[in-house]
Amino acid sequence: MLGQKLLPWDYGVRNLFRRPSRSALTLGGLTIVVLLVLVVVGFIRGLEKSLAATGNPNVVLVYALSSGADIENSSIPGRTPALLSASVDGVRRGHGVEYVSPELYLGTRITTAGMTEPGMGLVRGVTTTAPLVRGQVQIVEGTWPQRGEVMVGRLAHSKLSASKEDLAVGQQVTFDGQTWTISGLFNAAGSAFESEIWAPLEELQTVLKRQDLSMVAVSMDSLDGAADVELFCRERIDLELKAVAESSYYAAMQKHYKPVRMLGWVVVALVAGSGIFAGLNTMYGAVVGRVRELATLQAIGFRRRAILLTLVQEATLLACAGAIVACVVGLLLVDGTAVRFTMGAFMLSVDSVGIAVACEVAALLGVVGALPPAIKAMRLPVVEAIKSI
Amino acid sequence: MPLVEVINVSKEYANGEETIRPLDEVSLNVNEGDYVSLMGASGSGKSTLLNLIAGIDQATSGEIVVADTDITKLARGKLADWRAAHIGYVFQTHNLIPVLTAYENVEMPLLLLPMSASERRKRVEIAMEAVDLTSRASHYPRQMSGGQEQRVGIARAIVSNPTVVVADEPTGSLDDKTTEQILSLLSRINEELGMTLLMVTHDSEAGQRAKRQIRLERGRLMENGKETTSAHLRTA
Ligand SMILES: Nc1ncnc2c1ncn2[C@@H]1O[C@H](COP(=O)(O)OP(=O)(O)OP(=O)(O)O)[C@@H](O)[C@H]1O
Ligand SMILES: [Mg+2]
Repeated sequence: MLGQKLLPWDYGVRNLFRRPSRSALTLGGLTIVVLLVLVVVGFIRGLEKSLAATGNPNVVLVYALSSGADIENSSIPGRTPALLSASVDGVRRGHGVEYVSPELYLGTRITTAGMTEPGMGLVRGVTTTAPLVRGQVQIVEGTWPQRGEVMVGRLAHSKLSASKEDLAVGQQVTFDGQTWTISGLFNAAGSAFESEIWAPLEELQTVLKRQDLSMVAVSMDSLDGAADVELFCRERIDLELKAVAESSYYAAMQKHYKPVRMLGWVVVALVAGSGIFAGLNTMYGAVVGRVRELATLQAIGFRRRAILLTLVQEATLLACAGAIVACVVGLLLVDGTAVRFTMGAFMLSVDSVGIAVACEVAALLGVVGALPPAIKAMRLPVVEAIKSI
Repeated sequence: MPLVEVINVSKEYANGEETIRPLDEVSLNVNEGDYVSLMGASGSGKSTLLNLIAGIDQATSGEIVVADTDITKLARGKLADWRAAHIGYVFQTHNLIPVLTAYENVEMPLLLLPMSASERRKRVEIAMEAVDLTSRASHYPRQMSGGQEQRVGIARAIVSNPTVVVADEPTGSLDDKTTEQILSLLSRINEELGMTLLMVTHDSEAGQRAKRQIRLERGRLMENGKETTSAHLRTA
């Protein structure tokens, strides 16, 4: 194939401008297809990232044996953290503090200044050890909450369907009969924490009239620290505890969302498939009107493969242009768009994987869309084709 | 040794039950520098013979030897390469590529030959000059008259200095005045550039311009009242 004489690159390019409106329509269609692919892949990638970023293999979660996988339903005795640090070796220490984070976690109705109806939000009662164990969490604006204050994750507004301004530092939110002032804003490397609101644990317990905890998160010195914590839970049958490495917890979540991801990929395949049919249709139109011209090229001495290649070039050029437009639009509009989900919110992510998939789909649209009509035209004997109008 | 030798060539088309045989064991010699016109009734098989010699159609039987190559034995890809090197084709309707300028259309066949860009430019300029269209080089086909388009088509056919130039009713869709222009251009190409020319026409006046007139009648080739033969057959 190489080494043979090809048609000039210009010929393919200029043919695209021969019917500008048809090319523009095709470009529009291809762009939409690639954009749809980007959105779906962005959804899958965002979901995966949010779950992956949340799981830290050194961190062990301790919660109630009876609660299944759902930490919201978990209730454990308030003295668990103290017992745990007294009985288990290998808990990480730093700055004279043990990395043990007692937490109260719940879904509740939250009202902001700009909202008429309360929205369902996720609240986590934490102590100052929480950011030690949850290393991803970083305050980007404001300060750690004091009495009567909370800090909010950067996607919390989206989980609540509130505006970003409603959850800005200095604004107030109301839940469980108390009004809280927002002291700070944090992000957490795309993890699920970003859709939560964090309040001081003791105050939250008072407001809720609860003494128990939902869980304890412990950071261990080594990866096999989880085994020690597990042993503790098994020995203290009376506490009815269960220990799971945070990474396994979220790995289980990943598995839980596997059907959603599968569905996503099926949608990608379907969208790409329908795009190919649209592309085929246009290329048939483009080739049928040029049968005589293509035969002339053959009569002059161009090989059929060279002509095939120029037709594929035309279609691929259009598809690539569509991919570029779609990626630009995707990066500007789709990337970072927050999506609400049962376990919080996450961002659509237009990353290298998404762009690679989009470009592959575009190339596929070009090649697969152009080949059948091109091959059909090439099958026609030159002497017949040259007489066609 | 003739330049083109058609030896016992037949072409058949199966049409349901019956077979049409526009060429029935025809033989023909064309020498270098010949200008041959091929005439005959509509449907007699003139285009068929021309296309066989030009290597864009396949004979049912027989051999066609052009400059020592039996083109009936060439595979399709090789045949395409051979056409690029040896055949200049003038179509009835110019068949120019609409997205290319006159210059680029003429340059097309040269892209298939091993040639430097400067050599290409020189050849295209000579061909454009031969058809007197240097001033229209940057025009697109839609910006030219039918006669000018046909002249560009002729420039494209002669630009690679092919072994044979074939023309299938090159004046078929032109008015009288333009026809005259094209015919004298073809004569000049034969006389001044020494190119071998084979032209199909149904216009006997046009046919008279050629040095040799051949008629196709009921599947047979006649010249001066006798059936044509090939050198190959004569010596055999
Ligand atoms: N693909 C084909 N299938 C069947 N028959 C064909 C085919 N091509 C040509 N023919 C027949 O072969 C015969 C010769 O055709 P050809 O085109 O060579 O005629 P022609 O002499 O060039 O006629 P015209 O002066 O009208 O151009 C015709 O009878 C035509 O019907
Ligand atoms: Mg004909």
